[in-house]
Amino acid sequence: MNGYSRGCGKKAAIAFACATLGFAISGAAQAGIYDAGKVLATSGVNITDGAAGGGITPWAVIAGYETNQGINGSIHYTYANLPNYSLNSLGVAVGFYDRLELSYAYDLLPTGSTFNTVGLLTNTLAGVAIQDSGIDPFNTAIRMDIFGAKLRVLGESIYDSDTLIPQVAIGGFYKINHNGALMDTLLANKRKDFEAYVAITKIFFPLDLLFNVTVRYTAANQTGLTGFGGPNKNSREFRPEVSFAYLLAKNVAIGAEYAAHGKNTDGRGVAVGGGIDTSVLGSITGALNNIGVGGPVGNLANNLNSTLTQRESDWYDVFFAYFPNKNLSFVAAYANLGNITLTPKQTGAYFSVQASF
Amino acid sequence: MKSFYKLVLATAFSLSSLSAFAAGSETPEGKVQSTFPPISSDAYEKFGGKYGMDRWVEGLFKYIMLDNRINYIFTAHGKIDRQIKLNQQLVAVMLGAPGVEYQGASMSAAHAEMGITLTQFNAVVEDAYLACEDLRTPYHTCNQLIAALAPFKRSIVTR
Repeated sequence: MNGYSRGCGKKAAIAFACATLGFAISGAAQAGIYDAGKVLATSGVNITDGAAGGGITPWAVIAGYETNQGINGSIHYTYANLPNYSLNSLGVAVGFYDRLELSYAYDLLPTGSTFNTVGLLTNTLAGVAIQDSGIDPFNTAIRMDIFGAKLRVLGESIYDSDTLIPQVAIGGFYKINHNGALMDTLLANKRKDFEAYVAITKIFFPLDLLFNVTVRYTAANQTGLTGFGGPNKNSREFRPEVSFAYLLAKNVAIGAEYAAHGKNTDGRGVAVGGGIDTSVLGSITGALNNIGVGGPVGNLANNLNSTLTQRESDWYDVFFAYFPNKNLSFVAAYANLGNITLTPKQTGAYFSVQASF
Repeated sequence: MKSFYKLVLATAFSLSSLSAFAAGSETPEGKVQSTFPPISSDAYEKFGGKYGMDRWVEGLFKYIMLDNRINYIFTAHGKIDRQIKLNQQLVAVMLGAPGVEYQGASMSAAHAEMGITLTQFNAVVEDAYLACEDLRTPYHTCNQLIAALAPFKRSIVTR
């Protein structure tokens, strides 16, 4: 299946999102409820899931520069260049009265060399493909729509500097991965699922420091880019995420983030033609080793086994964010996404640009 | 799932009761502002002592009077010289200046009828950073004062 050729749904969704933002902003201007009163940089930036936060973790801040007097919003484009993938995220987030945030993001992950190899291998192994693996060698891309909502429940991360009470928000995402066949190949239980989270943000001005803790209730594999849940079930779990940002200047922040990921498909193979799970290769390898088959045959089995075993790692990033003014911001980051499906050591540069209105 | 919602609700309720308690406490204008963590003890000195603080307030008012988002509020109130003098006393007390007394009304009494918005309050915050830059006061030092003044939002912003 060619991932690029099925893009009409994507275009419609983006057009819808842009139109929504456009109407929201123009409506706000007409009604006199357009507002950009937040202090510079305190809106955060848009994460790849579309919500306001750091780079990968949603924070308790509400998107846009509005205060409780109005509406504001932002759009973003993010590109992360990894050895075997490139992650593209395009999205829009609108903040209402610094209380409610609605967001949409479209994530596109061309899989490059990884699935070229797997696709060719599985096509060869299966002969004529018995079922659609979702892999089109040289042309596989994963596409995901992410709808988000966030509500600030209490606290003011900036003004409550005389107490330890943080700003707290609850939120959720509904994610729709459009590569169902590939999710089956990767042994994910579902391709659509929701996530919920509680985010806690506190700014410590005397230390020039912002601190955030988020707990996400989710079954996502690689944020949902490789589906939700494992081969047998879709069990959601609580996963912690932590961010801190050191405020170097009123328009510059540097920091780091950590997001725990699950192990739903960790150690599993991939399903190739006829629904054969390559993790059976593990037992074949074991059997071959047990009966003393070494040499080229044993090595081949061992190599194939480790090549076709999926792994998932926690995500880390180190970022630099620059806010030249309230209408524009840039993020440059180094992202360590660890093992993604069959490919280890996915580290690379991450760039994001955002515009606010 | 049910247990998750219960957890969220329980957290929200317990924190909101804490928040209500904090919001109800009047910000002290007569003593050093207490913040978490405390502002650095040499902040007043770093601001240049009495001379530096006085110039900083003058700088703040320069930017306020140039700021079309808020200058009309200060102009309408009038007595700019007296506003500057009271603010000089206030920030000095907030940063622990010895022997200074704040002679103005409480923040909530002074702003009660003005209907100040958070957008207007934040405009003053942005002008405060500009005043720091004018005086070559480092961002870190400026943040000590921002931390001390931030809780006034609860007394000043009424809309």
